[in-house]
Amino acid sequence: MTISGSPRSGTATAAVTRLALRQVSRGALAVTAVAAGTTAIVVAGYQGTVGGALDAAALAALAENPAIRTLFGEPVALDTAGGFTVWRTGTVLAVLLSVWGLLTTTRVTRGEEESGRWDLLLAGRLTVPAVLGRHLVVLAAAVVLAGTTVGVVLTAAGTPSAGALRYAAGLTLVGLFAVSLALLAAQVMPTRAGASGATLAVLGVGLLARMVGDGIAALGWLRWLSPYGLLALTGAYHDDRLLPLLVLSAAALVPAVAAMALAGRRDLRAGLVTAPAGRPPRRWLLGTVEGFAARRLLRPLAGWSVGIGTYFLLIGLLTVSMTRFLSDNPRFAELAGQAGFAELGSVRGYTATMFALLAAPIGLFAAIRLAEFVAAETDGRLTSLYAQPVSRTRLLAAETLATLAGVAVLLTVAAVTTWLGAYPMDARLPLTAALAGTWNVLPIVLLCLGAGLLAVGWLPRATAAIGALPAVGGFLLQVIADSADLPDQVVAISPFAHLAAVPAESPNWPAALVMTAIAMVAAALGLLNHRRRDLLG
Amino acid sequence: MQPPAIRTSQLTKRYGPLFALDDLDLTVAAGEVFGFLGPNGAGKSTAIRLLLGLARPTAGRAWIFGIDAADVATAHRRIAYVPADVTLWPQLTGAEILELLGATGPGVDRAYRDELVARFELDLSKPARAYSTGNRQKVALVAAFATRAPLLVLDEPTSGLDPLMEREFRRAVAEVRDSGRTVFLSSHQLAEVEAVCDRVGILRAGRLVDVATMPELRRLRRTEVLVRFAGPAPDLTGVEGVDGVQVDGPALRFTLTGPPGPAMRALAAADVTTLTMREPTLEEIFLDYYGESGR
Ligand SMILES: Nc1ncnc2c1ncn2[C@@H]1O[C@H](COP(=O)(O)OP(=O)(O)OP(=O)(O)O)[C@@H](O)[C@H]1O
Ligand SMILES: [Mg+2]
Repeated sequence: MTISGSPRSGTATAAVTRLALRQVSRGALAVTAVAAGTTAIVVAGYQGTVGGALDAAALAALAENPAIRTLFGEPVALDTAGGFTVWRTGTVLAVLLSVWGLLTTTRVTRGEEESGRWDLLLAGRLTVPAVLGRHLVVLAAAVVLAGTTVGVVLTAAGTPSAGALRYAAGLTLVGLFAVSLALLAAQVMPTRAGASGATLAVLGVGLLARMVGDGIAALGWLRWLSPYGLLALTGAYHDDRLLPLLVLSAAALVPAVAAMALAGRRDLRAGLVTAPAGRPPRRWLLGTVEGFAARRLLRPLAGWSVGIGTYFLLIGLLTVSMTRFLSDNPRFAELAGQAGFAELGSVRGYTATMFALLAAPIGLFAAIRLAEFVAAETDGRLTSLYAQPVSRTRLLAAETLATLAGVAVLLTVAAVTTWLGAYPMDARLPLTAALAGTWNVLPIVLLCLGAGLLAVGWLPRATAAIGALPAVGGFLLQVIADSADLPDQVVAISPFAHLAAVPAESPNWPAALVMTAIAMVAAALGLLNHRRRDLLG
Repeated sequence: MQPPAIRTSQLTKRYGPLFALDDLDLTVAAGEVFGFLGPNGAGKSTAIRLLLGLARPTAGRAWIFGIDAADVATAHRRIAYVPADVTLWPQLTGAEILELLGATGPGVDRAYRDELVARFELDLSKPARAYSTGNRQKVALVAAFATRAPLLVLDEPTSGLDPLMEREFRRAVAEVRDSGRTVFLSSHQLAEVEAVCDRVGILRAGRLVDVATMPELRRLRRTEVLVRFAGPAPDLTGVEGVDGVQVDGPALRFTLTGPPGPAMRALAAADVTTLTMREPTLEEIFLDYYGESGR
């Protein structure tokens, strides 16, 4: 063919940009809305009530408490609306934005590639680096949109623009770091799942480094190694440092450049690290659909167990510094109560708070497992099983049971690792108390599973979002409610509002039963329609 | 008497305003090899998904050996299925996939399966992500042929096979027929359908236009006739069954439908030197069907 090159390839890249926009825009708008909304509510809430309630002594106590520092980071500039908002929501929003960025990046690049949809695209004159480049620009624009909107909200709320700018830049750079690292992993790892897992692991270690660095003064330098730590070190509204932002920029740039350089050197649908071409069969757990569901669960479960186990080992270790802190500062409990953190006045209260957080990742785990089941239905992997002499309900029940078993493992892992962390230091946290604490969040996880099953039956393409809603949405609502003055009826929607602080208190049995019952009704309704509807794909 | 392998009654599937399948009444007897033909988008895959209970009919019903197709746990004990595009679990090897499908399926003849693996030249040690399109299809075909299910439902199973594998496929279908089992085969490969099928059904725009045996189809359809003559051209106007008459010097072409008697009588008056009749190929028959107005 002898068609002149430039106009054709111009329209081709424009088409790729449009394709990327279409796949990213909805999620980008949602993340932006959540980030901006959370920020707006917290900053408005501070100006309304919280600000006045924090006196100097309470602030000092908060700043000293390792537990509080671990959770939210070093409390600085809490006497300003901007500083308080950044401290309270910065880490949560940075995690949200970076996890969304990484998952979206691997989905729209390697995911699309593995599905074969890029073959057609690349059959033309476009190269892999060119297509990746357009996607990178669109993903970066999405992250910038979210970060900028948060900055605009903070400025509009009247906080100093220098702080708002630093914070927005930091948040954006953390998101860009996640996108660019995910893009690099997508060039290197043999599969999309491998790329997502590797990036998630790096971000997880980064968050851990931030928590350790904030919680233990001697290890404060660890924060320089973590995107979340660098965001905290920026000290928005406090000392507004520039160096951490520069380090973050470099950290975001290097993987992207490496990814673009490597993109041309690999085969389509394969990373630079290739999977082995053959191996002897492993026949275990292939005999029944239940066994097969368990087999598919094992690998992701191992990853989740390592992640959750590491965090709660750290939490266990921190209970010790918590105990020491409490005996050194007898007035803390009282002060913490004044500042709205009454439960942090004791070791058990502290671990109970940490255990409540567990509902979010494990609820997400349950939702992701069900979403993966729907993905297997959509792309046809499940077709051969749906064609076997096995009822649809049995297939979905097998998946649900495997997921439940995974949830039980994760809850137990969290309890055992917390106990292991606390035990050698004699923090007076018996294993039974730890187990009671982690299993206390089971009803919220069941709500996620129930909501997810309801979605599998009625709105299968929204399974991940609907399944995660009780835990992630409930958690965000709780964060907002802690800092802003929401009406009681609104707060009561969050399942976290009905969670007792186990092991500091005894479980809220009536609430647990109600949540379990709701979950079972939702699950039953979902199973009912899953049996009747057309399969996707 | 044994119930038919497949029976449908007014089976209908709508997607919004589109009738993907419209009032399908079809019976496939046990032991038959049935070909299912039609242009792209005619509704073949839709019909098959309804038979498998993968999609639910808007109206009508289907039975597999007398069992309601909606009762999948029971009906599927009698069915092996190869979907139109085969997607396998990318991390499982071919051997593991055959193990999974064998163990959860309607029973498997392991010795025959091993033989098929050899005949289809399948490397079972590879993870599925490393298989080509044709190899993925071969895994699904081996799994289906090796089951003891009395009905095989195959949706374009050979679209990715090379000619050698296509020959193995035809042999395997013949073996299934010899063992008294039933095959329901949707395909665009007319030579393959001609070679293996006893009967074919033709679907167009969701409607079944014809069901016939191979010889019947031929008989119903047009034969091309070429006549050379000396002297004046024979007059065929108004002769029953004659169509598309073209005079080309001393040669005359026309197509003939139905019994040849009237045309022969009209030709008898002329000085015919040669007469050639050509049976239409299956391809021509189907182009005829497919090409008719409104797909
Ligand atoms: N899930 C769906 N939603 C909407 N329309 C659909 C769906 N599945 C099929 N159709 C439509 O139904 C019609 C029949 O599709 P079907 O896949 O059965 O055709 P087919 O005969 O198998 O074609 P081919 O030879 O290309 O495989 C097509 O017009 C198709 O677009
Ligand atoms: Mg089809």
